[in-house]
Amino acid sequence: MRTFVQTFSLLLFTTFFSLATYKLPDWLPADIYLRLDPLLGLSAILAGKEIIGRALWSLIIVGTTLTIGRFFCGYVCPMGAVIDLSHYLLWRRKKNSPLKSEANFRKIKFFLLFIFLIAALAGVSLSYFMDPLPLLTRFYTFILYPLVITLINLFLDLMRPIFHALGWISLSHQHYSQPVYYLAIVTFLIFAGIVTLSRLTIRFWCRYLCPLGALLSFISPLGLWKRRVSQECNECLKCQKACPMGAVEENPKRIHLAECIQCRTCAEVCPKGAITFPTSFSLAKASEHQTSAKGGEYSTVDFSRRGFLYSAAGGLTLAFLADRTPFTPLKGKYQLIRPPGALPETDFLQTCIRCGECMKSCLTNTLQPCLWESGLTGLWTPKMDLRFAPCEQNCNVCGKVCPTQALRSLSLEEKTNAKVGTAVLRKEMCLVWAQDKLCLICDEICPYNAIVFRTVEGYRRPFVIASRCNGCGFCEQKCPIQGDSAIIVVPSGEIRLKEGSYLKEAQKLQLEFKPDPGDDKFILEESGFKVEGEQKGKENLSPAEKTQPKKPKGFLLIP
Amino acid sequence: MKNFGREITRRDFLKSAAAGAALSFAWKPVFSNAQEEYDLVVISGDPVAATRKALEVMGGISRFVKKGQRVVLKPNMSFARPPESGCNTHPQVVTTVAQACLEAGAQQIMVMDYTLGRPELCLERSGIRQACKSIKNVHVIGIEEKKFFREIRVPQGKVLDRVEVLKEVLDSQVLISLPVTKSHSATGVSMGIKGLMGLIWNRTSFHDKYNINQALADLATVIKPQLTILDASRALVSGGPGGPGEVQKPNLIIAGVDPVAVDSYGVTVAPWYGQNFKGRQVEHLLVAHQRGLGKIDLDQLRIFKGKA
Repeated sequence: MRTFVQTFSLLLFTTFFSLATYKLPDWLPADIYLRLDPLLGLSAILAGKEIIGRALWSLIIVGTTLTIGRFFCGYVCPMGAVIDLSHYLLWRRKKNSPLKSEANFRKIKFFLLFIFLIAALAGVSLSYFMDPLPLLTRFYTFILYPLVITLINLFLDLMRPIFHALGWISLSHQHYSQPVYYLAIVTFLIFAGIVTLSRLTIRFWCRYLCPLGALLSFISPLGLWKRRVSQECNECLKCQKACPMGAVEENPKRIHLAECIQCRTCAEVCPKGAITFPTSFSLAKASEHQTSAKGGEYSTVDFSRRGFLYSAAGGLTLAFLADRTPFTPLKGKYQLIRPPGALPETDFLQTCIRCGECMKSCLTNTLQPCLWESGLTGLWTPKMDLRFAPCEQNCNVCGKVCPTQALRSLSLEEKTNAKVGTAVLRKEMCLVWAQDKLCLICDEICPYNAIVFRTVEGYRRPFVIASRCNGCGFCEQKCPIQGDSAIIVVPSGEIRLKEGSYLKEAQKLQLEFKPDPGDDKFILEESGFKVEGEQKGKENLSPAEKTQPKKPKGFLLIP
Repeated sequence: MKNFGREITRRDFLKSAAAGAALSFAWKPVFSNAQEEYDLVVISGDPVAATRKALEVMGGISRFVKKGQRVVLKPNMSFARPPESGCNTHPQVVTTVAQACLEAGAQQIMVMDYTLGRPELCLERSGIRQACKSIKNVHVIGIEEKKFFREIRVPQGKVLDRVEVLKEVLDSQVLISLPVTKSHSATGVSMGIKGLMGLIWNRTSFHDKYNINQALADLATVIKPQLTILDASRALVSGGPGGPGEVQKPNLIIAGVDPVAVDSYGVTVAPWYGQNFKGRQVEHLLVAHQRGLGKIDLDQLRIFKGKA
């Protein structure tokens, strides 16, 4: 039963993950798992000091945990499912021996939880680092998704001759664009580490480290179903060995209620059938019956005031260290292009949970994880790598899938007006400006006619009209020179709004990102075109026409 | 050498197709419009009716497509923009020609283009995938991978020695070009001959390595559509090839076997950047004409003009 629910949940998580792509329908919450995560919501709200609508979905998990107990870890958590699965595949024959000083290890997760929450209060969001849902989403985005695409394409390549022979034309031309991400190996190593820890003891991560589990175990003892061991118990300790959370105490009749994930494994393995999970409303009653099950034993008793103070100090120190770097005063001054609809940088860093969902959903793969570009506080936040790929004007998926709305979900029109930066021509590198070559790719590719040609020194040369450029980066990506682009998008002029309309803001600033004809007529004023080496063309030219300056490129001056 | 061999087969096929076409005309003098073979057929009217009429006057699609053949239709669907932008071929021109090919007994029809934008977006926004969705055996395919191309030699190439052409074009029996009438910032206009660049892999070299006009003529010596149907229902007269730009509505469909002649007529259907031009004034058309690839002067062409 539990395996079934877990598998289903993992599949559901995977399905939602794969749906997070262009063209995601507006009604479909592809980020639902991340929204349901109370730790993410809580730390984003604490860090940003503002209520986030989507994070309120996590109240569902809070509510159900209050009634059922810590079922999330055993049944819903996709990371838990992956850990159980990999344990089953790799180490199922290994004896499950608990670690020494189990109780001390168990506390680690509470320390971590408090460190993260205190750091969040101090304005630095850190829980993304160890919260299982963003962790798994990042693994899916940076590793699994590219891998699956590679495998699918490999399979398609192998089958191509067969599809062709069968006349399955569309299938024989099927190919999926390969997504790639910076430093995926870091994510891989972290993930591999978590899985490998299970070798030491089953669900090592969930028992000792997971801060989300820690948060849930604070409220789970209030749940209705509680383990009860009858007098039949012969203390064979089978339940203690089988418990994946190590929640059964030395006296097998007692249980660490906060650790129990309602998996009922103990009841299954008990040879006497002595274990049941009756409903019981009151904690006091439960302790009466079981003499042991004190609600929130670890959270309130074992996790001492001293422990709390330590972790509070730790959280503040971390937040201090992470925030007091030159990156903080430099916010907005370095070359970093955020996705359209990103909150103002400080809010953005506090709200973004680094799940990588936006990067997964990005149609062109331009969204890439930041590493140290904006310091520790910016780790894994999305940036646009416009030399690599542009931002597609018909796509607005990144905001739709952002669970904390660090990237605001915008309509296409709003997104078009959410200017991310401005293209700047680097004349010393531009083929036209520096070498008098006939290049016009940036102009040709610009979807908003923000690049125009004007005659300077007898040559038509490109200019950027900043008020028409929303920083989509097509020019930067397509610039044909080697190395850095001769036209780059800089953050200058970006519009970052916490609320309100980007369209109105753009209008206020007299910006216009419209795919209208623009001033293409300028071409007629150019005079520098030469009919290179075309003798036939030249001999047909009358002297009068030769001096006629008005002629678009590609046309000849002959009658 | 192997590639060269295929090239010969292809050319042979073209010859026999032309011969077949000529024969079919000789045998069927009953059709009034077949009594005189036209170089160009120009029909005004809405895209569907005009395309149908143009095919009819050309002698029917069965002149070009035989039962059981594989047909590649090459529209311009390179940009993720809607039909009214004038960047892409009108979806209804594509469906009308595809239907006609099916009626003539074509086995499979592949509507293909190596799109400039993301294929899925271009196919979607151009409206071409949606329009062809309900027609059986018509496959709309956007290409963006080198593995779908095969290198061939360009025996008559002046600047191009070799070029990688879409395999499906080399392997199928019929290629029908369905360009749209639009301006192009590097080649003046982009119609049938410029549109051939949507069938080859390394097209950036056309822009940064070769003289694009010579390279286009070279390309036209190895990729020869049996029929070109130019969609001049709209003409993007400035801001091409990708727009945004001024869109005029000549409401014409121009069909012909000679790709240079079709393009040359296309140049005259609208003023470009506010100025009238002739085919001769478009450099790549002039070069192609000089290389013997087609007629460029309209006064030397037999043109059927009609309404649908």
